[in-house]
Amino acid sequence: MDRRLPQFFFALSLIVLALMLAAVWQAGTPAWKNYQQEFHRLEAVGEPNAAAKSDVLNAALVIRQDLLPGLQRVDRCTTCHLGVEDPTMKNAPQPFAFHANLAPHVPAKFGCTVCHGGQGLATDKLNAHGRVPFWQEPLLPKEYIRASCGRCHKEGEVPGVPELTDGRRLFETQGCRGCHKLNGVGGTIGPDLTEEGAIRRFPQWLEQHFLDPNIVSRNSPMPNFHFTKEQARALTFYMLSLTSEQMGTYYSSVRLIPSAGYGRQLFVEKNCIACHNVGGVGSKSGPDLSGVTKQHSPGWLDEQLVNPQLIYPGSIMPAYDLETNARKAIITFMASATAEDAQSILSQRTRPLTPQDAAIEAGKQSFARFGCVGCHGLQLQGGVPNPNSQGGEVPSLLHASDDYTKEEVTKIIQNGKVPPVENPAKPAAPLYMPPWKGVLADEDINRIADYLWSLQKKKDAW
Amino acid sequence: MKRRSFLNWGTAGLVALWSAIGVSLGAVVRFLTPSVFYEPPQTFKIGDPADFSFGPPTFLAEEKIFVFRDREKGFAVASAVCTHLGCTVGYFQSDERFHCPCHGSVFSADGAVLHGPAPRPLEWFEVTLARDGQLRVDKDHAVPASYRLMV
Amino acid sequence: MNPIRDAWQSIFRRDPLSTDKGKSELVFLNVWLHIHPAKVKKENLKVKHTFYLGFITFFLFLILVTTGVALMFYYRPHPPQAYQDMKDLQFVVYLGSFLRNMHRWAAHGMVICVFLHMCRVFYTGSYKRPRQFNWVIGVVLFLLTLGLSFTGYLLPWDQLAFWAITVGTNIGSYAPLVGGRIRELLLGGHTVGESALLRFYVLHVALLPALATLLTMVHFWRVRKDGGLSRPVWKLKEEKAAQLVSIGGPDTNGPLAAVPASKDKTYGLMEVVTGKPIFETVSMEEEEDAVFSYPYAFFREGVALLVTVATVMAVSIFWQAPLEELANPAKTPNPAKAPWYFLGLQELVSHSALLGGVVVPALAVLALIAIPYINLTPSRRLADRKWAIRAFTLFVVVNVVLIIVGTFFRGPGWAFVPPWVHIAGGE
Repeated sequence: MDRRLPQFFFALSLIVLALMLAAVWQAGTPAWKNYQQEFHRLEAVGEPNAAAKSDVLNAALVIRQDLLPGLQRVDRCTTCHLGVEDPTMKNAPQPFAFHANLAPHVPAKFGCTVCHGGQGLATDKLNAHGRVPFWQEPLLPKEYIRASCGRCHKEGEVPGVPELTDGRRLFETQGCRGCHKLNGVGGTIGPDLTEEGAIRRFPQWLEQHFLDPNIVSRNSPMPNFHFTKEQARALTFYMLSLTSEQMGTYYSSVRLIPSAGYGRQLFVEKNCIACHNVGGVGSKSGPDLSGVTKQHSPGWLDEQLVNPQLIYPGSIMPAYDLETNARKAIITFMASATAEDAQSILSQRTRPLTPQDAAIEAGKQSFARFGCVGCHGLQLQGGVPNPNSQGGEVPSLLHASDDYTKEEVTKIIQNGKVPPVENPAKPAAPLYMPPWKGVLADEDINRIADYLWSLQKKKDAW
Repeated sequence: MKRRSFLNWGTAGLVALWSAIGVSLGAVVRFLTPSVFYEPPQTFKIGDPADFSFGPPTFLAEEKIFVFRDREKGFAVASAVCTHLGCTVGYFQSDERFHCPCHGSVFSADGAVLHGPAPRPLEWFEVTLARDGQLRVDKDHAVPASYRLMV
Repeated sequence: MNPIRDAWQSIFRRDPLSTDKGKSELVFLNVWLHIHPAKVKKENLKVKHTFYLGFITFFLFLILVTTGVALMFYYRPHPPQAYQDMKDLQFVVYLGSFLRNMHRWAAHGMVICVFLHMCRVFYTGSYKRPRQFNWVIGVVLFLLTLGLSFTGYLLPWDQLAFWAITVGTNIGSYAPLVGGRIRELLLGGHTVGESALLRFYVLHVALLPALATLLTMVHFWRVRKDGGLSRPVWKLKEEKAAQLVSIGGPDTNGPLAAVPASKDKTYGLMEVVTGKPIFETVSMEEEEDAVFSYPYAFFREGVALLVTVATVMAVSIFWQAPLEELANPAKTPNPAKAPWYFLGLQELVSHSALLGGVVVPALAVLALIAIPYINLTPSRRLADRKWAIRAFTLFVVVNVVLIIVGTFFRGPGWAFVPPWVHIAGGE
C-alpha cells in the first residue's frame, strides 16, 4: 500500500481544517465591524464616566438596516454611517459625519439610497457605494443629489431645487417631446424617457449629452441645442427625476411639500374665500384669517381643518378631506397670507364673490357629504336607473327651477318624495327621495337649496 | 509502513478532521442565526419629548408600547403585549390599570399582575435620549418598573 | 456486565476492527458502508485506474446537497425577492457568500467530473458486458447533472440567469412535435417569469436530486453486482483477458472451472441455486490480491473526499460566483449566452436550429447510449479498440472545441470575434 498515504491523509485534514478556519475568519471580519469599533471609540471620547465609556466601547457590532417596504428597498448604510443623526459628530471624519438638514427625511422612514443612490443591500464600501459592475444606481456626486428630490416631489416647485422646475420647463419648451416619449406622449425617434431616471443614473453622461450629444452617443440623430452649462444641468436634474416610483401610501400622502405656494393653491381650490376673509378682503361670513397662526397652535389649526364642528359645534365650515401635508400647506400659507393675497385670489375668480357664496359653498359640501350625489350626481345630472318610475331614472336637478319654486324644493328635501309609478301593475320603484327633516337642520336644507339654485340651467340658456 | 505510525498519522488526521467538523457545526449554527431581521426594528425613535403629553400614557399602536410622562420623574415606556399569550392590552384611565381583552388579565399602573392568567408583569423598556434630542426605545433592554428617564 | 458497554455494543455490534471479522463486519453490518465489498481488489485502488472520478463526482453531489440545503434557508424562489436574497447571502448572511460560491463551483466541477468519469469508463472499456446497462444509467445521470445545473442556473434571477435560460429553453423548443409543449411545461407560461422560477426551483431542489439519488443508488448497486470495478486492462496478460470475458458468459457452454475451497477463508452461502453466474469470476490467485475495504479503500476514499472538499473550499474562498444586475426582460444582453456546458449546443444552433439544436444532440445522446451495444470486440484493451477510441475522442474534442468557441470566440450578435480583439463601446 502507499506508504505515504496516512501522512497524505493527515496533511489533507489539516488543509481542510485550515480552509475551514480561513472561511470562518473571512466571514467574521467584515470591514463594517472595524468601522463600528472606530465609531464607538469616537463616541466613548465624549462619554463622561468610565461606566458609560465601557458600555459604549463594548456595544455589540451588528448590521443596521432600515427596512423600507413602502419604497421597496432595504438600506444598510447606517451600518457604517453611524453619525448621520448625531449632532455631536458634526466634525467627525467620514463615514461618521453628521448629516445636516435631514428632517423630515430620516433614515428610519426614507433610508439613504433613494436620494443618494448606491446599493443599500451591500455592507462593504465598494459595493454599497455602487461603483461596481452590474449595479445601475451608483452613488450620485454631491452636486446632483438634490435632483433626487424630484423622484418623489413631482408636482410644483421644490424649495431649494430650482433646477427641477427649470429642467421641466426647458423640456416642455424646447420640443423634446418631438423625438422622445414621456409618460406615453411624444415621438419615437429617440428613446422613451419615462424611466430615464431609473435606468440611466449617470449624471456626467447626461450632462455631456445635453452639451453635445455626439460626444457620448456617436452618430446620434439628436441635434446640438447649444445649451448653457446651467441649462444642461437643469435638464440633467430633470432627467434624474424621471422615474415611476412605486411608493407605499405613507409616501404618497406626504409627497406634496407643505409649502406656502401649495397652500395658496389649495386655498383657491377649496374656495376658502367664499366664507373667509384675510384682513377684511373676502367674505365676511367666516372669521378673518390674518394672524390666525399667531393666535392658535399648529395643532389647533390642524384640528380645525380636520373637524371644524369639534371646536365650534355650530360651524358651517365643512370637513374637507385633506391629507396631512395638504393641511400643513394651508397653515403655512396662513402664516404669511395678507390682504393682497386675498385680493389677487379674488381677482382671479371667474365670477365675482357674492354674500351668498358662503351659503352656496356650505350647501355644496352638505350635498356631497350627505350622499345626495349618490343619486343626483356630482353635476346634478341624475341618470341613475330607477325602474318603473316615471322617466325610468333619478331626475336631473339642473332644471328643477322650471318646475318648482325654491320653497317647494326645500319642502321636498324636508319631507321626502316617492316618485310616481309608471305601471301600477309592476312593483314600485326602488329609489325614492328620503325625508331629511331631523337629519339636516333647516339652515342646512336652505343652503342646499341655495346651492341647487346657483347651478340652475334655464331651458333656453346657452 | 509500521502499523503504529500508520495509526498515528491516521489518528492525527482524524483529530484534524473532527476539529474541522466541530468548527463546521459551530459555523452552521451561526449561519442559521439571522444577522438582519425583516421586521420592524427593536430599537427605534419615537419622537421629540415635547410631543408627549402628561397624564394618561400615549399608546403607539405599531410599536405596541405605552409612553408615560410624569412631571416629576420623567419618561417610562411599557410594553403593550400581555405576558399571557401576547394580545395587546388597553390602558383605562378610569381605574388606571391595563386590561387584556383576551383572557381578562389585569395589570396595575406599574405593570404588576393583579388578576388573570398572566404569569409575569408587563415589561418595561429602556428609553434614552438620542444625540439628536429624540426619545429612543430599546425593546431588547428590559428595565425595572421604577426606571424613569428625566428629560 | 457493564451497562455502558452493553449500551455501546447495542449500537455498534461489530467485532473490534483489529480482527478480520471486525473489518468485514464494519462493511456488511453498516448501512452507510455496506455498498462496498468487504474486500476490494488491490489494483482497483490505484489512482491512475479510475482517478477516483466516480467518487469525486459523488462527493461533489454531496457537497451540493449540503450547501444547497443551507442556502434554502435564505432563498425565496419568487422574483424579485430571489435576487435580493442572493444579495443578502453575499453581504449579510454569515458564510453566505462562501456557501454560495461552494455551491456554484461544485456544480461546475460536477459537470466536468461526470464528463471525465464517462471518458474514463469509455477508455478503459469498462462499459462492456456485463456492465452495459450501468453505462446507460450513467448517461442518464449525466443528463440529470446537466438538468440540475440548468435548473439551478435560473435561481439567482439576474441577467445572466434569465437570458441563459431564455436561450436554453428556446433551443429545447426546436424539438419536433414536443418541443413547444416541453417549453410550456418548463416555463409554466410563454416567457421566463414567476412560474418558471418556481418550477425550476422545485425541479432543482426536489425532483431532480431525488431522481439523481435513486439512479445513483442503482448505479452503485450495479457496480457491486457486476463484480466491482473493472480490472485495469493493462494489467491483464493477453490470454487472461480472453479467459476473463468468456467465463460465465451466456453464450459460452464451457463448463465452470471447479475450484477447491480455501481453508483460510470463510464462505457464506446465501442460497443454493442452479445455473451459471452472470458476472465474471476470478481465479484464486487474483483473489489473493484483495484487501479489506477497511482501511485501504476507505482511507483512499477519504482522501478523495478531502481533496474534493479542500479544492472546492479553496476556490470558494478566493473566487466569487458571478451575480449580474437584476433580471430585466426588456433588456437583452448582447450576446445572450447559455450556460457554458450548453454553449456547444448554442454554437450548433447558431448554424441550424433544427439540425444543430435537436437532431445532432439527440443523435449524440442516442449514440452514447448505444455504445455498449455496439460490440465490435469483447476486448477491453486499448490496442484492440482503435476505431472506438478514435470516434469517442473525436466526440470529446468536438464538444470541447465547440464550447471554447462559444465561450471565447463569440461576441455581440454571435459574431466571430477572437478574444484578443478588443470591442470598443458596447453596453
